[in-house]
Amino acid sequence: MTAHSRSDSPWRRRLRRWTENSFWYTIMIAFALVTALPFLWTALMSVRPNSANIFRVNQAPQILPIPGMIGWGEGLRIAQAEGSYSGPNGFWRNFEPEITPLLSDELRPFTFPATTANYYRVWTDVNLPRYFVNSFVVAFWVVVLQLITSSLAAYPLSKMQFRGRDAIFYLILATIIFPDQLTLIPTFIISVQVLGLADTLQGLVIPFGANAFGIFLLRQTYQSIPNELIESARIDGASELLIWWRILLPLIRPGLATLAIFSFVGSWNSFLWPLLMLRDQSMYTLPIGLAFLEGAFTGNLRTVAAGVMVATVPIIIVFLIFQRQFIRGLSGAVKG
Amino acid sequence: MSAVPAKAKLDDLALELKRGRRRRSIRKYLTAYGFLAPAFVFLIVFLFIPLVISIYLSFTDYKLLTAPNWVGLGNYEKLFQDPLFWRGLRNSFIYLIATPILIALSISLAIVVNRALKGVYIFRTLYYIPAVTSVVAVGMIFEFVFAEPSGLINGLLLSLGVIQRPINFLTHPDSTLISIMLVTIWRGIGFYMIIFLSALQAVPEELYEAAAIDGANKLQQHWHITVPGIRPSIVFVAIISSISALKVFEEIWVMTNGTGGVLDSALTLMFYLYRQGFIFLEMGYAAAIAVVFAVITLVFSIMNFRYLERNTHDGPQQI
Repeated sequence: MTAHSRSDSPWRRRLRRWTENSFWYTIMIAFALVTALPFLWTALMSVRPNSANIFRVNQAPQILPIPGMIGWGEGLRIAQAEGSYSGPNGFWRNFEPEITPLLSDELRPFTFPATTANYYRVWTDVNLPRYFVNSFVVAFWVVVLQLITSSLAAYPLSKMQFRGRDAIFYLILATIIFPDQLTLIPTFIISVQVLGLADTLQGLVIPFGANAFGIFLLRQTYQSIPNELIESARIDGASELLIWWRILLPLIRPGLATLAIFSFVGSWNSFLWPLLMLRDQSMYTLPIGLAFLEGAFTGNLRTVAAGVMVATVPIIIVFLIFQRQFIRGLSGAVKG
Repeated sequence: MSAVPAKAKLDDLALELKRGRRRRSIRKYLTAYGFLAPAFVFLIVFLFIPLVISIYLSFTDYKLLTAPNWVGLGNYEKLFQDPLFWRGLRNSFIYLIATPILIALSISLAIVVNRALKGVYIFRTLYYIPAVTSVVAVGMIFEFVFAEPSGLINGLLLSLGVIQRPINFLTHPDSTLISIMLVTIWRGIGFYMIIFLSALQAVPEELYEAAAIDGANKLQQHWHITVPGIRPSIVFVAIISSISALKVFEEIWVMTNGTGGVLDSALTLMFYLYRQGFIFLEMGYAAAIAVVFAVITLVFSIMNFRYLERNTHDGPQQI
């Protein structure tokens, strides 16, 4: 970025580079804190054993967790009375008396004994694994359906000559201008009263079987494939379906990946539609299960925090693994 | 003599060819529509038909369990005299303030991370994390952050003695909507930053060098080169973030526990639609809200449409 061509002494140049860089790092770290602190705060709450405030007036804030009552399964109550419990269905142990003496006096006021009890409670009282599976199944089928319908529909729209092609393309594109909210009520009535999809996972998939934006996106991707490739396959006598499956789909894989990421994240995070469609708890998706955690644990925010952690951390890990694809996909979709 | 049968033969041949071509063109037609059919089944049932029904329902008193009766413009007349509708409309427009803030912050952040510093990728990735976290989880996390008196912000400020009484983020009608907007902004910055970052990287480096030679300082360079250079992205982000600001629902549902805030202080148009349609089951009335809502977002949507359409004529795009 620096384009200064004045002849400075190497020392001064180095000093200036150093101050400049530390300036940028300060800004980046400050914003990193703004991003990370809410998550860290939730994590901190999820391992708090009691409801005492973390920040206290005129006292050190208890922000450093040390191992306290750690374990899993039954027997927490016994362990709290006697220090440890080990039985056929559970193991708990209070590490606090062993760890605390090891800490220096300056450090001790900042620490608090962390516990896994809140996580265990969420695990037993709320069927989060079930919600995970439901969310995954729904998002998976939405992605599969959208990839099939969009890649099929986008092919003739970009690579075939037939009457009405442009009219159809604009019809599809025009639907993007209507907000989903306009169709929300009739879609609900059709899904529930006509198709009987209330309280089913199919009801969360089928209404999203086609995506106008996906068709648009893949049409753009097809556009970059040379016509000669398709023509020569046609001359060789390949059917259009075979051309689509064997030649085109492998070539538009980046576009498919972008669409897949978008529709997966969209479906995974969707809230309003499942909120309207689901009554039966065993059908809840993760966002719905999360939203009703607060009702399930009224007054026990530590357990709610543990639930939020369980629901968000796996997604963050998946994102970190696929971050390159995520970010490339996003910039690709925007360039469009 | 022999020329006549020859010509007849030629005509036959031409006819044959024409027929073949027509047969082929019908086949081509059928193939094309065969490819379009699966998508269209879904689009017709869940988009085109609902679109028509929605407009129809807005002229009826449909309540889900009873048959709809035609009431003409009744719903709309009622709507324009409904103080909660105006409240929702006002709040939805207030929510639009989030858009310029989001754009300014995410461009600034994109400029900061668009330099070859060690570890800059780690920061970019970190900033993007809120965008992949579900709105529901983010809303709940911020309930912990905003909690009174021992949330992250209130607890910290109270213990430092900066404030004497906790800030009523979500419990005072004047601040509820603003607090929720802060959450939307917090969640959006990283997402839009990535869009701006890829735009920034397409601005030619030579322009900055030329400007530096001409004596422009860093700020002037950004104003005269960066901003015009990424203008299409700014337009794009302005449109999509305005639309999503008007549509905001989940943050409000989660952070007000489904109530719309103290004294309906965080009631947006979308939330009011939800309440009328799915809590009170006044589906005809809610359909009228949906139509008004659609007309308002249409302005932004048409701009979005034209943006997408313009891009389709730009030739092959890289993805």
